[in-house]
Amino acid sequence: MSLSVASSTTAAATKVSAQRKVRPKLALKRVLLYVSLWVAFVWSVFPFYWMIATSLRAKADIFRRPPSIVPQGITLQNYVDLLVSAHFWRFAMNSLILTLSVTLISVFISVTAGYAMARHRFKGSVMLPLFMLYGQMFPPVLLLIPFYVQLRYLGWLDSLYGLIPVYLSYMLPLCVWLMRGFFSQVPHSLEDAARMDGCTRWQAFWKVILPMAQPGIVAVATWVMIHSWNEFLYASTFILSEKNRTLPLGLSKLIGQYTTDWGVLMAGGVVTAAPIVLVFFFLQKHLVAGVGGGAVKG
Amino acid sequence: MTIARAPRPLRLRPTWSSVFETGLGARVYPYLMVFPAVLLVLGVVVYPVLSGISWSFYDVTLRKLNSGSFTFVGFKNFERVFADPVFVRASINTLVWVILNVVAQLGLGLALALLLHRPVRGIGFFRSGILVPWVVPSVVAVLTWRWMYDPSVGIVNEMLVRLGIIDSYRPWLGDTATSLYAVTVESIWKGTPFVMLLLLAALQLVPRSILEAASMDGASGWRKLWYVILPQIRVSFAIAAVLTFILTVNNFNAIWLMTEGGPLNSSEILFTLAYKYGFQRFDLGLASAVATMLFVGLVIATTLYLKLMQAREAD
Amino acid sequence: MKMRRMRGLIAATLLAGLSAPALADNIVMWVNGPLASSPDAPIYAELKAFEAATGHTVEVQAVPHMEMERNLFVALSSGAGPDVMALDIAWVAGLADAGLLADITAQTAPIAAEYQPGPLASGRYDQKQYALPLYTNNVALFVNDRMLAEAGIKKAPSNWAEFRDAAVAMTNKDKQTYGVSFGGNRMGAFQLYSFIWQNGGEIVDEAGKVRVGEPAAEEAVDFLAKLYTQSRAMPDSVLTAGNWDEVHAPFIQERAGMVVTGDWALAAFTKGNPNLKFSVHPLPAGVKSATVIGGYDLAIKAGSKVEKPAFELLRWLTGSRSIALMQKYERLSATAAATSPEAIAALPKQLQPFMAQASSGRARPVVAQWTQIHSDVFANVWDAVIRGKPAKDAMAEANTAITGLLEKK
Repeated sequence: MSLSVASSTTAAATKVSAQRKVRPKLALKRVLLYVSLWVAFVWSVFPFYWMIATSLRAKADIFRRPPSIVPQGITLQNYVDLLVSAHFWRFAMNSLILTLSVTLISVFISVTAGYAMARHRFKGSVMLPLFMLYGQMFPPVLLLIPFYVQLRYLGWLDSLYGLIPVYLSYMLPLCVWLMRGFFSQVPHSLEDAARMDGCTRWQAFWKVILPMAQPGIVAVATWVMIHSWNEFLYASTFILSEKNRTLPLGLSKLIGQYTTDWGVLMAGGVVTAAPIVLVFFFLQKHLVAGVGGGAVKG
Repeated sequence: MTIARAPRPLRLRPTWSSVFETGLGARVYPYLMVFPAVLLVLGVVVYPVLSGISWSFYDVTLRKLNSGSFTFVGFKNFERVFADPVFVRASINTLVWVILNVVAQLGLGLALALLLHRPVRGIGFFRSGILVPWVVPSVVAVLTWRWMYDPSVGIVNEMLVRLGIIDSYRPWLGDTATSLYAVTVESIWKGTPFVMLLLLAALQLVPRSILEAASMDGASGWRKLWYVILPQIRVSFAIAAVLTFILTVNNFNAIWLMTEGGPLNSSEILFTLAYKYGFQRFDLGLASAVATMLFVGLVIATTLYLKLMQAREAD
Repeated sequence: MKMRRMRGLIAATLLAGLSAPALADNIVMWVNGPLASSPDAPIYAELKAFEAATGHTVEVQAVPHMEMERNLFVALSSGAGPDVMALDIAWVAGLADAGLLADITAQTAPIAAEYQPGPLASGRYDQKQYALPLYTNNVALFVNDRMLAEAGIKKAPSNWAEFRDAAVAMTNKDKQTYGVSFGGNRMGAFQLYSFIWQNGGEIVDEAGKVRVGEPAAEEAVDFLAKLYTQSRAMPDSVLTAGNWDEVHAPFIQERAGMVVTGDWALAAFTKGNPNLKFSVHPLPAGVKSATVIGGYDLAIKAGSKVEKPAFELLRWLTGSRSIALMQKYERLSATAAATSPEAIAALPKQLQPFMAQASSGRARPVVAQWTQIHSDVFANVWDAVIRGKPAKDAMAEANTAITGLLEKK
């Protein structure tokens, strides 16, 4: 947060002279800006709030009518029930390992491939990205059986590492594509300058281009992270044993055959979402920091 | 910033990466960089997709899968799909679903990105908050919305009644007239933040000097947006459009967990139809036929769009 | 003591009869999530006992109900899958038809009398037995005692006319109360079947003839739908309720005086509204009484390498021990012994009505296309009729559609 504030003050300073003449209009604009920010904020956060509120309600309060926006009494019973009944720590560890592996691999691969596609001309440099993208367009549900056959052949069923290639298939094409887009927006001049100064291609890429593409990398990494953390369909089909379950699988177990304990389910949702929300808050700062310095200014 | 002042290796000092500067190394370099990606895509994307497509020409049902011998049936699966009246309904719904989602997500995403790009006090707080929908596990998000739409205890009904927009609770997901739109609202809510993030990241890359120059010229807000900002983030916008398009067509959780395509197929899209064919009827031939059509449609639409973008870029 | 010895005896005979040299085999079993919801779930202790008695080992994998059918399909069709699987009784036919389940007709013939006929029939397809019932359930009428009394009605409805009158009497537009909460789509369709049978109607009869277009079936649909379309005695949730929670919600909130549901509702009601005063009654009878049977069966994968031990496991879990085991889950055993007056009396009070009406329970038609008939045809019929389509037309169309599905094969 501090960084964003810092950048806001510098930016404000540069604008000050131009803004002096139009003060009343500006004040109105500012009010409007904050009003719209709050509207967007409430719209985005409300369902999440509702999740949290439901998870804190006593069971009898959940069906109360009319629904009250603020729970009438707060209880942590749902969280206690949740954490006692299932191996949530185990699930969280599995999710963490899986998410980190998939994120690292896909960021590495998509950065190199995306850069090569954006900057170099080679056979297939035009068609390849498009071709990759096409792979993303087949409805994933129908890939269940081919994947199952492949994983079974490799003996990777019911294992976390078996899920890694499956997730990559689902993430990688978009990541490559995204990275290519980001690299193509980094001005050529920077790289040329670095090369003039005697950098090898690799050094120019590593020391100049990569830091520039940081917001893109962060965006891609977050995308992969969030989707691997929350992925459900493949995990639920390929993971069988309790010890290999991921958090979303733990969640789906809470949805009963007949009835569902909504309070506990929502508590599970909050517990599942909490780590990624926290990670995200951290990354969000970096997203700002990566560009806040104005590296692109020249 | 630091980059500009960092000491650099001298022009002639050789490092391991000098190999790629000339000759064979230079030619191999780009291939080497794309190689892992291509390898993975071949293994985990091309094969499954091809087998999925090929199934649409075979009679693949539960019985046949077990015996392991499929019979080639040509276009028969497609004929059967076309004969199903639900298919027409689902196609129209898919179109509505995609257009609404893509337009709204891109529009709102752009608006939010412009809003959040401003370096004002507390912007980090708003940015983080607005990204929350994207972070919430989709299964939980969908179930929460379903709960919020509930015709008897739904908070959506309660709030709309209190705001005086409706006078009594309504079954938003149960009315054939509103079910598709009710799900669309959830999907827009969930999808917009990512578009926003993409565009925000791109906005951050726009050199500040360009924006300042435009301001100096006294360009009005809209003109600045249209003539200065949008062209600068054009590539990201195109990417966001394509991604939103693909993700919307393949957004299964939202519809499946809220309405299962109902009531009376009023919110059926091609994807849910394919799922029903495949995993309720256990007729994968039929499901693959729908999936293949969807796939071809997506490929054509995306290619056309990208070609258009390229053509404009060339101008 | 006596019980224990008997169990030991059964185990011993099983051992002697089925796998003379007790080879230690590993059996992979998929059970539906709720039965193995936590590490101390009763099924684990039961399996320990089985392992101790037979020397085999059992590897349990809990699969949530929602994903079970799809996961079984994916796994079995790729040639993998568990040796023993728990199946919703509605899935048996589809899997048996595809040749994915082992035929256990020969082994089960001598012991058929030990099971309740309805649940046992749910595991029979094409005159062959493929599965044994793990537990059973059926639906009954839940009545809010206070609302019924306030509507001036003395006793819970026992026939259709009383049912309608009670529903109408408890409906009050100003107070926004309704007579009966009902499900939409597949939920509603499931609730519908009992009423069709009560009216003397059939869905698919023994001979395989589709009979949903006949007046008896059509009247039942019409009767229920009019409670919503004409009497407004059902809350609007009937249009959307796609899971039991949404069917139950109006009853829990005391906005609906009655609901048609099964034993799974008991815990949900107590949790959702501890002050709710309700009683459980057999479904109101039409021409005769009938209730739809649900529950889970156990089946063995065709070609399983451990078929014999797998059958021992089936017997173990579905046999006489299941009465005690299922009671721990507050569910109903499907053994014939469980319906004896003493066994019923030993059940928790609220479960007794369900077991008592088990004899009028009927399994849904065991045809391979059932899942599709249920979720494509009947769900749509119900959705259409409550939105104003004449029941006669809807059922006539359904008749054609189901006939078409059954012929296609």
